[in-house]
Amino acid sequence: MSVAIEASGVSAVFDQRVGTFGVHRRVVAVDDVSLTVKEGIALGIVGESGCGKSTFARLLLGLLAPSGGDVRVGGHELQAMDRRARARLIQPVFQDPASSLNPRRRVGEIVALPLRAAGVARGERRERALLMLSRVGLAPEMAGRYPGQLSGGQRQRVAIARALVLEPRILICDEPTSALDVSVQAQILNLLAELRASFNLTLVMISHNLAVVEHVADEVAIMYLGRVVERGEAGSVFAAPRHPYTKALLASVLTPEPGLGLPELPLGDAVPDPANIPAGCRFHPRCPAAIARCATEAPARGDVECHLVQPVPT
Amino acid sequence: MSPVLEVRDLRVRFGAMAAVRGIDLAIERGQTHCLVGESGCGKSVSALAVMRLLPRGAKLEAGAIRFADEDIARLPERAMRRLRGDRMAMIFQEPMTSLNPAYTIGSQMTEVLRTHRGMGRAAAVERAEAMLARVGVSAPGMRLGQYPHQLSGGLRQRVMIATALLCEPDLLVADEPTTALDVTVQVGILKLLADLKRDLGLAMLLITHDLGVVARIADVVSVMYAGEIVEHAPAGQLFAEPLHPYTRGLLRAIPVPGKVKRGEKLATIPGIVPRTEAGFRGCAFRDRCGFATYECAEPIAARVEGAHRWRCRLEAGWREAA
Ligand SMILES: Nc1ncnc2c1ncn2[C@@H]1O[C@H](COP(=O)(O)OP(=O)(O)OP(=O)(O)O)[C@@H](O)[C@H]1O
Ligand SMILES: Nc1ncnc2c1ncn2[C@@H]1O[C@H](COP(=O)(O)OP(=O)(O)OP(=O)(O)O)[C@@H](O)[C@H]1O
Ligand SMILES: [Mg+2]
Ligand SMILES: [Mg+2]
Repeated sequence: MSVAIEASGVSAVFDQRVGTFGVHRRVVAVDDVSLTVKEGIALGIVGESGCGKSTFARLLLGLLAPSGGDVRVGGHELQAMDRRARARLIQPVFQDPASSLNPRRRVGEIVALPLRAAGVARGERRERALLMLSRVGLAPEMAGRYPGQLSGGQRQRVAIARALVLEPRILICDEPTSALDVSVQAQILNLLAELRASFNLTLVMISHNLAVVEHVADEVAIMYLGRVVERGEAGSVFAAPRHPYTKALLASVLTPEPGLGLPELPLGDAVPDPANIPAGCRFHPRCPAAIARCATEAPARGDVECHLVQPVPT
Repeated sequence: MSPVLEVRDLRVRFGAMAAVRGIDLAIERGQTHCLVGESGCGKSVSALAVMRLLPRGAKLEAGAIRFADEDIARLPERAMRRLRGDRMAMIFQEPMTSLNPAYTIGSQMTEVLRTHRGMGRAAAVERAEAMLARVGVSAPGMRLGQYPHQLSGGLRQRVMIATALLCEPDLLVADEPTTALDVTVQVGILKLLADLKRDLGLAMLLITHDLGVVARIADVVSVMYAGEIVEHAPAGQLFAEPLHPYTRGLLRAIPVPGKVKRGEKLATIPGIVPRTEAGFRGCAFRDRCGFATYECAEPIAARVEGAHRWRCRLEAGWREAA
């Protein structure tokens, strides 16, 4: 299998001045991450709010130049590719559809725009845009509306239709179904599965919904404060999580069982701040299992970055 | 005791399109009422109508909205502005649309306290900072100086929640408050809301697609479809015995953690929602329902059994057949 995406030691650092006195703040949103996604694979990325998932997605899309390291997509350096070729190779679905759709264009135009950029004839553009809208479950009359006239979930489906209309090789989805009800979500996930089967689409899916990731992903990467702290084949990570953060995540999933109430939070209260990454293991202030060594020494690089986990012999 | 919020026969139109078609809602002190349903069925529009924040082009028709024993459906905007952000507050579905990109988090939060509580700057900053810390925002003092685009999606949502809670409202309308958050933070926020509900007697209208959240925190649930509430029941009852075929389809489509199989198709509800114009008759779900008969095109009366209300003319038999 050839490699679709290869990130080698990528970092994203933001320098900011904050407040009236311009206090300097250096946010390390993505910290030296290396990750390979093989062609046709679905990778799920899960992690703490603010841990750098969307920033990592922007690095993979070439929308943000890495502060360190590099990203190769389909064997090419993204930054060096021309826009048309890039659009046919890789497409995003962004987290916040309200801010990624042009409010002054009608839905039909929004979905057809990538086709125009790719030089598809006008008549065919319209046809393909409408077809794509129907595949994400939107009626043809929606094509004439502006994004502001749609519900949150309808906007999200427009964003998905726009990303899929060119039939890209790679799709990067940032929370693609969080605004959708479960039946429409199921419809979109089935559609993605169909596309994967029919043209070997490579999928990177960022989601807080662990059941969705479990359903879609072949492999998962669990992020915490800018690093991938656990990675592996999806089935085994979900069945037997090894990093304490992954365990905490899985313990917090709310299954639809009324009467169970809310689970006890297995994590400490300390709030992670990417401008102030703890020394040693970055998870140690919140880790229920931390030992003295965790506060001083960073865990070795590997599939599970934790002092308490023995590396699996390969 | 009368409910904090009581909505009767609420209707909202956009031109010919009827987005909300006569819904009733009642929420008591200390109660969490969840509103779920098909994307586009009118949940957000209903919530905006309650807050009297409907967008231009929307027409609020008929109906009464009683808040704390006053009908606010026709209250002048000036009086509404005094209520909003103070005694009733809303958390919006898309935080970016309600946070002003041109102002810092601090100025947006302190503005609320200065308008409604007449607080001085220093006191307002202190309270805003404390509230950010309470909803789990890191380095709250520093965040006050940041602009919305400098925050991650989850942080923005927490800022929104903190802002809504600043004046300790009687009614909180929360539209998808935790969908942008990871599951550990979600549990933290839901616990916070549960505490406030207990300590302040907060009445909460919570809109969400996450049926896991609904199962765990709802007292009662209303299921909407095409602008109507098609089923309403205490949470336990709704999950155990859904009486409307739409609710049934919805519950079946949930990917249950630990049970989903990779590659296996998820159950969906085939078809799409019809366009409902004023004067639309009959059950709006009939085109997608496997049990519909020609009678379903006739007006459907609400049925009641104890605390359970639903709108479907099918007899219990369909459930065994399904
Ligand atoms: N343009 C920017 N300037 C400064 N800081 C930024 C910028 N973009 C992101 N950040 C910071 O980088 C960190 C990671 O943000 P990112 O949006 O990637 O998180 P995320 O994992 O996608 O979170 P969520 O689950 O909440 O969407 C956050 O602390 C955020 O505040
Ligand atoms: N400004 C508007 N102009 C015209 N139609 C609108 C407008 N705003 C909303 N609508 C329509 O009203 C209906 C109800 O929208 P609403 O936002 O309440 O849906 P929702 O139930 O909140 O959906 P979601 O779960 O996707 O957020 C939708 O069909 C939507 O397209
Ligand atoms: Mg994000
Ligand atoms: Mg909505």
